[in-house]
Amino acid sequence: MARFNYLEPHSLDEALRMLADGGDGVRLVAGSTDFLIRWRTGFWRPDAVVCMQHVPGLDAISFNDADGLSLGAMATVQAIEQHDVIRQRYPALAAGATAFAGVQVRNLATIGGNACNASPAGDTLPALLAYDAQCRIVGPAGERWLPLTEFFQGPGRTALQPGEILTELRLPPPPPRTGGLYIKHSPRGAMDISAIGAAAVVSLADDGACRRVSIALGAVAPVPMRANAAEGRLIGQQPTAANIAEAARIAAQSTNPISDVRSGAGYRRDMVQVLTQRTLQHAVATAAGGPAPFGELRRLALQTAI
Amino acid sequence: MTSRNFKVLGQNHPRVDAYDKVTGRAAYAADVYLPGMLACKLLPSARSHARILRIDTGPAAALPGVRCIITGADFPDVRFGSGALRDRYVMPRDTVNFVGEPIAAVAAVDEATAQEAIELITVEYEDLPAVVNPITSMQPDASTVHPDLEDYQGYGFTMGHNVSTLLDADRGDVDQAFQDADHVIEDVYRSQGINQGFLEPMACVADVEPNGRLVIYASTQGPYQIRAGLAAVLELPVSRIRVVAMELGGGFGAKLRLAFEAFPALLAMRTGRPVKLVNTREEAFTMNGPRLPVTNYIRSGVMNDGTITAREAYTIFDVGAYLGAGPNSGIGHGIGAYRVPNFRLRSYGVYTNKIYVGSYRASGVADMTFAVESHMDHIAHRLGIDPYDLRLRNALREGDVSVSGAVVPSNGLLETLQAVKDAVAWPRQLEDGHGIGLALCEWRSGSGPSTAAISVNDDGTVSLLTGSTDISGSDTSLAAIAAEALGIGMQQVIVAKRDTDMAPYTGQSGGSRVVYSQGTAVQRAANETRDKLIALAAERLGLPQDALGCEDGRVYVLDNEPQGLTFTQLAAASITSRGGPIIGTAALSSMPYTPVFAAQAAEVKVDRETGQVRVLRYVQAQDVGTAINPMAVEGQLEGGVVQGIGRALTEDQQFDPDTGAVRNPSFAAYLMPLAIDTPQIENILIDVPAPDGPFGARAVAEPPGFGPPAAIANAVYDAVGVRVKELPLSGERVLAALKGQSPALTMDVASLRRAEGIAAD
Ligand SMILES: Cc1cc2nc3c(=O)[nH]c(=O)nc-3n(C[C@H](O)[C@H](O)[C@H](O)COP(=O)(O)OP(=O)(O)OC[C@H]3O[C@@H](n4cnc5c(N)ncnc54)[C@H](O)[C@@H]3O)c2cc1C
Repeated sequence: MARFNYLEPHSLDEALRMLADGGDGVRLVAGSTDFLIRWRTGFWRPDAVVCMQHVPGLDAISFNDADGLSLGAMATVQAIEQHDVIRQRYPALAAGATAFAGVQVRNLATIGGNACNASPAGDTLPALLAYDAQCRIVGPAGERWLPLTEFFQGPGRTALQPGEILTELRLPPPPPRTGGLYIKHSPRGAMDISAIGAAAVVSLADDGACRRVSIALGAVAPVPMRANAAEGRLIGQQPTAANIAEAARIAAQSTNPISDVRSGAGYRRDMVQVLTQRTLQHAVATAAGGPAPFGELRRLALQTAI
Repeated sequence: MTSRNFKVLGQNHPRVDAYDKVTGRAAYAADVYLPGMLACKLLPSARSHARILRIDTGPAAALPGVRCIITGADFPDVRFGSGALRDRYVMPRDTVNFVGEPIAAVAAVDEATAQEAIELITVEYEDLPAVVNPITSMQPDASTVHPDLEDYQGYGFTMGHNVSTLLDADRGDVDQAFQDADHVIEDVYRSQGINQGFLEPMACVADVEPNGRLVIYASTQGPYQIRAGLAAVLELPVSRIRVVAMELGGGFGAKLRLAFEAFPALLAMRTGRPVKLVNTREEAFTMNGPRLPVTNYIRSGVMNDGTITAREAYTIFDVGAYLGAGPNSGIGHGIGAYRVPNFRLRSYGVYTNKIYVGSYRASGVADMTFAVESHMDHIAHRLGIDPYDLRLRNALREGDVSVSGAVVPSNGLLETLQAVKDAVAWPRQLEDGHGIGLALCEWRSGSGPSTAAISVNDDGTVSLLTGSTDISGSDTSLAAIAAEALGIGMQQVIVAKRDTDMAPYTGQSGGSRVVYSQGTAVQRAANETRDKLIALAAERLGLPQDALGCEDGRVYVLDNEPQGLTFTQLAAASITSRGGPIIGTAALSSMPYTPVFAAQAAEVKVDRETGQVRVLRYVQAQDVGTAINPMAVEGQLEGGVVQGIGRALTEDQQFDPDTGAVRNPSFAAYLMPLAIDTPQIENILIDVPAPDGPFGARAVAEPPGFGPPAAIANAVYDAVGVRVKELPLSGERVLAALKGQSPALTMDVASLRRAEGIAAD
């Protein structure tokens, strides 16, 4: 339990200045749900902590048909879970949010923190990847945009440079006739880290074929990943049971899971296949008619546990 | 016979401490703040087995705010033990035996400083070969955890090398019975390490009174056991130690014995200031003994009609670095709730370089029940007999002889089976992937030294003094027993707080003994109090005692009810009476054998693709005798089942295969069930009064937790036709079974038999 200085900026500029002044020894915190644990165990020992809670405006959530969904990095997972437009238009993200921890943690945890923490098991990350999220990053040199697929560099490592802050995640508007789901595989119904997470988002063409397919997987590789080969197997194809099963098989092959206290690698790979198949099936089934009611979405997201 | 016309018993009484607990006012050990108090932190061993060459405390001692640092060398050179075998130092002197073992303690002005100091201590180790797997540990060439074992006090019942205990039970001619049996069926089961999961981590405050006496404010199930343990390791007479039992935030066996109290105690003695130690959750996982994995070999001889004629069970209990709670209660349960005329039961306690084994809600019995009750279903399926019928055919009946040789008194075993059968409409065909499983659980009502004193106050209330710490509402039940016996309301009974200077000596609160044994002492003390009240009233009223009754807080004339004296009047009168103030006391050392039986059924759904098991419904019927406080009884039954479901499905204390270190020391990785994971639990209370319990009550607490692993495993078999013999029944394990890829579990029983000179095949 090392001591540190606690800094509280009231604007983004002030925060950037504090980060620049602090150098290597300073750590930014949002909801602090990851931070406190790593500080207590001594894994992180910052000289100073810059808390973003009092920087106004960074928690906004907005949607319009042209730009899609904008999530301020400080938006809490709870706010995302509760958001009607997200439940309607980005059901896989709502599923990821509702499968996340428990209410108390969701109230603190931020979407930006989940991304910047870069855990392969982060529950919102497969859905963000599947919806093609772009990151807005602000730093000493100004602002830049980066696709989320390039943001993750390894467990706990991101493309953020020293002094940079993630301020926003932007998800383009899904085409019409798009369905999606995230399933979290965990033995316990809440407050559990994913053993595997799978998200699928499918947009259908007028002839019923798959126009766009994204499959994203959590906790089966060093970073949350898109299963591009599996997506390719389905794009342009009819979403038949056989095609979906084949895509799921390819997805499982593309992973590189580890064995740990939660699961063996072999079981993880088996589960990727099962969960990919189930998320794809659900995405296809709801593409035309719209998402399941939220209660059902929640049950589906946690189906392996509850 | 007891009167079944109760005034207080049999009704629901909210816990006497409910308000204090809900409002956060109940005082736990961590809530004790004394002037000038220091904070204590512990340095855990980083090695599983090593000689300590040097501990450098210099830089830590130089840190501003640090007041005192102690290591093993600061304690008297005495070993202690939690059982008969004295196999450990309270803090190791020269050798560490598991990762996490406390090897130094710091007292500083605050917790952060103490922790900083801990991190400044450097230890030089010389590694010794470590042994982590108990099966390996039993091999003659395995490295030895305790090379000096033979010199330890209490060595008498150990086998030597790494086998710290061997418990046995035999009856009849087992080998002949196996030869004569129509079928011989054998299995090996394995159950996992389990953490007790108490809410309140270990905490205590030590203080030295001006007269030099040591006072310990403890979180404990056994204040007298703490006192005895401290006296041993500090070489103090017990009269120099006072233990105040604070509210207990869950123990489940983990707080039965001396834990870390000696560290703040010695620091307080050295500094002259009060010292507080509060464990973190990680420390609760890595320093204080959980249950460790158990491997169970079980073999039965069975006749064609399903009659079990022979049973052999060899059980290997990993005890970790120190015997701790050891195999404990496991041994007697190798035959379960059945009449088995010939048996050979063996329980080995084997040392490894892991955290030492602790107690948990009838230690070992849940492991045994998982094996025995899974095995029962295996027998049933092999013989094509309904699992319910097999249980009914072999179930113990009144007059049978229990495993320990005691005659089984009247009991509700058959009624519990019938009740569960009716509740789940057994046998029932279910949709694909759904199944029902049964389990039968048995335990005995806990015994041991029990005392109580009841004194009548000026206002007609009574004060009840016992040495038992409250666990799971036992204070409320003891108050109810006193109220019933005295003919007063619950509100008229004050339950005094525990303090070894004031309360009479008693055994620990554990093993389902408080209400049964301690409750009997309370009932007897209350009876004596009532007799004295009646005697005094008789004297004052000039009437014979048998002309008087005692009810509603007064002694009255049986054939003229309005005439009488209230307790208030009698209390006043007693001051100047011949007998003096009224106090009733009772003490006992043990109680007769009184079994407790429970039948349980789980209904599950299995996902064939993920292997995940979901419990949809749980039904249990338990013969509780008289339900002293039905609400509390149901709470115990449900709590036990929830713990059992955790054991069955998700809880798994894992250890590093090389170092033996706990791999998942947090509730984020050690998965206890949450409300969302828990099905509707239906409780059926069977009331066959115990011949000897207070007002016919039996023990309640232990059996509910035994059944779920087997009931759920049996339900999984019913659902998808595979038997999983290893806990927990994780999706991974069930899926492997569905693919026919379960790892084979084996035990080399032949060589264990040979070591004992048994020639059987
Ligand atoms: C009990 C518990 C349960 C949990 N369960 C889950 C779960 O089910 N699923 C799951 O995915 N996670 C879970 N977590 C992990 C954690 O809650 C999430 O990762 C959360 O999203 C982190 O967000 P935060 O705002 O708390 O991040 P913080 O802890 O504040 O920060 C995390 C990291 O991100 C960096 N950071 C944060 N925001 C920014 C930013 N805007 N720009 C640059 N860097 C930034 C910080 O410097 C730090 O390195 C759990 C944690 C706890 C304590």
